Amino acid sequence: MGPLIPNGILTDEWNIIIAVLIGLAFGFILEASGFSSSRKLAGVFYGYDFAVLKVFFTAAVVSVIGLYYMDYLGWIDMGMLYVHPTYVWAAIVGGAIMGVGFVAGGFCPGTSLCAVAIGKLDAWVYVFGILIGVFIFSEAYTVFEDLYNGSFLGYITLMDNFDIPAKWIILGVTAMALIAFFVSDIVRKRIKKVFY
Amino acid sequence: MINRNLAKILAKRYIILASLLFIAALGLVLLPEYKKNEHVTAEDLLAKVVNPERYITSDVLADKIVTKDPSILLIDLRTPKEYEAYTLQGAMNIPFDKILEPDFEGYLNQDQYDIVLFSNGNFKADQAWLLLTRKNYKNLHVLNGGINGWYNTILNPPKPTENMPNEAFERYNFRMAAASYFGVGNNTGESAVADEPEARKVVIPVMKKKKRKPEGGC
Repeated sequence: MGPLIPNGILTDEWNIIIAVLIGLAFGFILEASGFSSSRKLAGVFYGYDFAVLKVFFTAAVVSVIGLYYMDYLGWIDMGMLYVHPTYVWAAIVGGAIMGVGFVAGGFCPGTSLCAVAIGKLDAWVYVFGILIGVFIFSEAYTVFEDLYNGSFLGYITLMDNFDIPAKWIILGVTAMALIAFFVSDIVRKRIKKVFY
Repeated sequence: MINRNLAKILAKRYIILASLLFIAALGLVLLPEYKKNEHVTAEDLLAKVVNPERYITSDVLADKIVTKDPSILLIDLRTPKEYEAYTLQGAMNIPFDKILEPDFEGYLNQDQYDIVLFSNGNFKADQAWLLLTRKNYKNLHVLNGGINGWYNTILNPPKPTENMPNEAFERYNFRMAAASYFGVGNNTGESAVADEPEARKVVIPVMKKKKRKPEGGC
């Protein structure tokens, strides 16, 4: 049956409508969980608040388990889903830049827009910085081109690469997530409480 | 009034939620294996088998060959020996036993040509059609009657009798003209073998990768 749009159950025009609806819900949940506070986001790095880790890890685990049950029931064809291509060095460098920006600015790109929506000045500066970064990257694309397109490994996934069935990887990731939650709770209790 | 039992349970809510998640993941591991039907469902396949649209008559095919229609790809399913002896103009030979070999997948699994499968009769070509349709290949057709039908209709058409409708005579004239195009002069009694068909150069269509749209995260 699914995915709905590639299989023609919904027309292409629904793409943007559904994107807007999911975007609204996503933004609402981010704001409602307090993710528009840069202190809460930076808390992961200082160890006084692990909400970000818990929320995103839980979301990933819940969706992967749900998708595989739906795949089993024949509701969705996992083979048709998008797999992000892997550019190893671009991912490493980009991830490092993103991490530095995350801990220094206190937002990830998604939550910064949430914070812009509720009128935080630092978020405005942050988003402006993103735009400057985009501009510099676009103008100096030829300099970054080798990094951007290099070390391409294709649309690889863990299960193809290590030849392990998806179910075992899911079980492993779930266990990893639960252990991470447990350990992060212990860490949080040992760290001095920060009021924010 | 505080419900003490409920409070006791709620105090352990994170443990309960975590175990639920783990049980759900474990359930995925314990689900029995099953062979997924990756291509065509039984209902679809049956509907296609019953549908006679896959057949192309020898008249239509002759017209396409004479007008040099570039969109058809003729596949001769007979043995190489039979192929050497006689085949349709521009046909390429993929023996029936080899249709599922990866060498020929580029020819069969594509969406640029209308493939016309033919054999001596309908039987082998229908079998091949079924196998390839089961693999969800597109644009497959079967020459109705095969080479024998081709011989009986195009190369050696029965002469219509006087009480037949006008269309029968027109069809006969077309077939006679087509037959002389294929090098068979029924009236002059020339050899019934057509000119050596030129080996047609078929460009292997490039397999298209699945479309992947860029997406963002976070």
